[in-house]
Amino acid sequence: MFKLNTKLIVSASVATVAALFTAGCMEGATPASTSKASNADIAGGVIYPIENGKTGPYYVDMQSHGMKLNHGRTPTANELKAWDKDVMPDGTGLPEGSGSVEEGEALYEAKCVSCHGDFGSGGGGYPALSKGNGYELQKTLKNNRWRDPQAEGPTRVFGSYWPKVSTMWWYIKDGMPHPKSKVLSDDEVYALTAYMLNINEIEIDGEEVDEEYVLDREKMLKVVMPNVDGFVPNIDGPNALNDVRAYYANPTNFGAIKVKPEERCMKDCQEPTVVVTRIENGGISEFNPPMSVVRDLPEAKKEALDVKSAYANNCAMCHDTGVAPAPGDKDGWASYLAKGMDAVYKNAINGIDAVMPPKGGSTLSDTDFKTVVDYLISGK
Amino acid sequence: MDNKKSQEDLNVSDRRDFFRKTAALSVTALAGTSLAASQDDPAIMHHVPWGQVWGDPVTKNLYGMPSKYEHNNTRRYTKLLASGNYRASIAVTPIHESEGIITPNGLFFSRSHGGVAHVDPNEFRLMIHGLVEKEIVLTLDQLKRYPKVTRTHFIECPANGGQEWRGPQFNSLQFAKGFMSCAEWTGVYIKTILEDLGLKPEAQWMLAEGSDNSEMGRTVPIDKVLDDAMIVWGQNGEALRPEQGYPVRLLLPGWEGNLCVKWLKRLEFASEPWYCKEETSKYTALKPGGKAIQHFYANEVNSTVTSPSPEKPWTDLKDGDVIEIEGLAWSGMGTITGVDLSFDGGRNYVQANLKGLVLPKAWTRWSYMHTYKKGEVLLLTSRAMDDAGYIQPTVDQEVSVMGVESVYHRNGVETWEVTAEGKVNHVQMRTPGGVKNV
Repeated sequence: MFKLNTKLIVSASVATVAALFTAGCMEGATPASTSKASNADIAGGVIYPIENGKTGPYYVDMQSHGMKLNHGRTPTANELKAWDKDVMPDGTGLPEGSGSVEEGEALYEAKCVSCHGDFGSGGGGYPALSKGNGYELQKTLKNNRWRDPQAEGPTRVFGSYWPKVSTMWWYIKDGMPHPKSKVLSDDEVYALTAYMLNINEIEIDGEEVDEEYVLDREKMLKVVMPNVDGFVPNIDGPNALNDVRAYYANPTNFGAIKVKPEERCMKDCQEPTVVVTRIENGGISEFNPPMSVVRDLPEAKKEALDVKSAYANNCAMCHDTGVAPAPGDKDGWASYLAKGMDAVYKNAINGIDAVMPPKGGSTLSDTDFKTVVDYLISGK
Repeated sequence: MDNKKSQEDLNVSDRRDFFRKTAALSVTALAGTSLAASQDDPAIMHHVPWGQVWGDPVTKNLYGMPSKYEHNNTRRYTKLLASGNYRASIAVTPIHESEGIITPNGLFFSRSHGGVAHVDPNEFRLMIHGLVEKEIVLTLDQLKRYPKVTRTHFIECPANGGQEWRGPQFNSLQFAKGFMSCAEWTGVYIKTILEDLGLKPEAQWMLAEGSDNSEMGRTVPIDKVLDDAMIVWGQNGEALRPEQGYPVRLLLPGWEGNLCVKWLKRLEFASEPWYCKEETSKYTALKPGGKAIQHFYANEVNSTVTSPSPEKPWTDLKDGDVIEIEGLAWSGMGTITGVDLSFDGGRNYVQANLKGLVLPKAWTRWSYMHTYKKGEVLLLTSRAMDDAGYIQPTVDQEVSVMGVESVYHRNGVETWEVTAEGKVNHVQMRTPGGVKNV
């Protein structure tokens, strides 16, 4: 094991020795450091090497090491292609394709607005995608409300915060739309990404991404996000792991403190400015189920369908917000009812292409969900 | 039912009698005197109903469930930490009811980005590819043929306590600290699999990707992969629960829960990092200068008092009662080496006692015996240390570096105020407006 590990580590990163040396230097710069440099991991923690057949408190089966267990099989080229769909900032994995802001906006209105709000404004617990000009809002990242609670805080949305546009393309492709993901074509993803750039007012090569703008692979690789330099430590390039190790070898970088146990403060440790700070305005106390430590018999469970709570939990997010007709909205439902009740039930149960999730995303039986549909139409 | 009701009434009147009479007696008199018949406890004097009838046959509950009286010991959620449909959300662990250092599987905190996926183990495949000499696909049975290791580790969401950078918000231990749990995990070290596959020299990073609706992915540095990163399928002696990634998740001991990708389907090795959504838009800690820490891996040394707590106050204690103050300490950087306890909010400390197993990157129990004085007001603050050399910062110390907009990785000391009535409030000891260069 040890032999093998050495080989792996050395082959994986020829800079390991240098890295440990760097870490050692950085730790030396922290006067109160107590841990051995050779035991420091990349995140500033301890490594427990195998010593006398144990790692930390755990015995290790040394016999099982170095066995080159030959399990599994080689994936086929098609299997690799099917699953290796990630998109990296340098364009690795990003397919050819194109889509316009205009097309993106139409797609957004059809498939995204119900959660992410008009122009990506967010709401209902779903993330905002834009709050305006990304370059201007990037400046708000310096806003910290530690002195003035009334001050304006930082705005962290795609345009102002995300360092890479590839992240957006990849996540739309893999994780969106939320009710049924992995259904958008590459061109549709380009169009939606273009719309994201548009509402965040991001420029590409000095050019405004306006309504007519058509985004393709080549143009996307030219995008420089406003906050591209907003993150530490460096994680790019062949020296990245050394940079990360050095960063976490210095506790002052991330608000940590090292001290020799015998030198820690035990008496009179507090500045006189420190006061008791209490929860304001009741804090957050809407807990579900309500907080209780009583040990008694639970209330008998309601077996019958509670239509209104089923509606509130599964349907209200769209049907209460004007995205889809509200319960009892005769005019709103008229066009749906024109197709006949069977069609309405069928669409409600099976869903409509990423607009209406099957059964509203609930796990109700078909019969119960029909009752919920009845309530939506009648309002009673 | 009638019988039960009458017994409850009896209980109440007996208790009232008991308190009325004992109030007049001194403690020493009580200790030396047997109580009158009217002070007899009905729970002792009557046959209890379950003692006279058959219990359940062994054929019932072939997968055992908690006592029906324990129905309040559950995960809880709040709308304020949720997407509208509770699919990108969190349900947190009742730390105030937790015993020892193992979280029962049904109470392990649950966090997902696209809902809890229900993976068919027959269709589970794990693909390992990229900068390895040999790429492979494994079925679940094939994965489980590797030599197993079993390790006890906590998993903590780095947003544990993250709502409270600007001041306390939750008057609750469950919500203030319950974005974490601890379990015994069984699986295989990734480095064991790599013995067969062979890592190419230029491999610096590993992508771990889930098969859920959000295809949750994160980038992991090769250092962790070759240290103690595991692929796990066992949780406290049984298969992982769906909420924990059934059938298989990544486990990076001590590191952000979000990095421990659930419903795992793919590991890819590369020379450059991926910039996944959950390592850029979220799980990055914004500092006062406007730069954010990315790839903020380890959960730093931390601790909390678990008894008393806002949920389990001391309102029933009598003057002179000797009571155990108990708590948890944990560090994703290593092993807990000590915990100090303050009764005055961190001005002065005494050394508390570690108890039970003290394991790396695991919950560690500590305690301190206290003689309670009726009417005393206390500010209970715990402070842990680990073998990497770290000690928990004060709120002021942490805020002076991290500001108050970080969201993630808050490990400043926590304080419970015990009021004169024995109620417990979550407070923070800090300088209003913050301090620079503490």
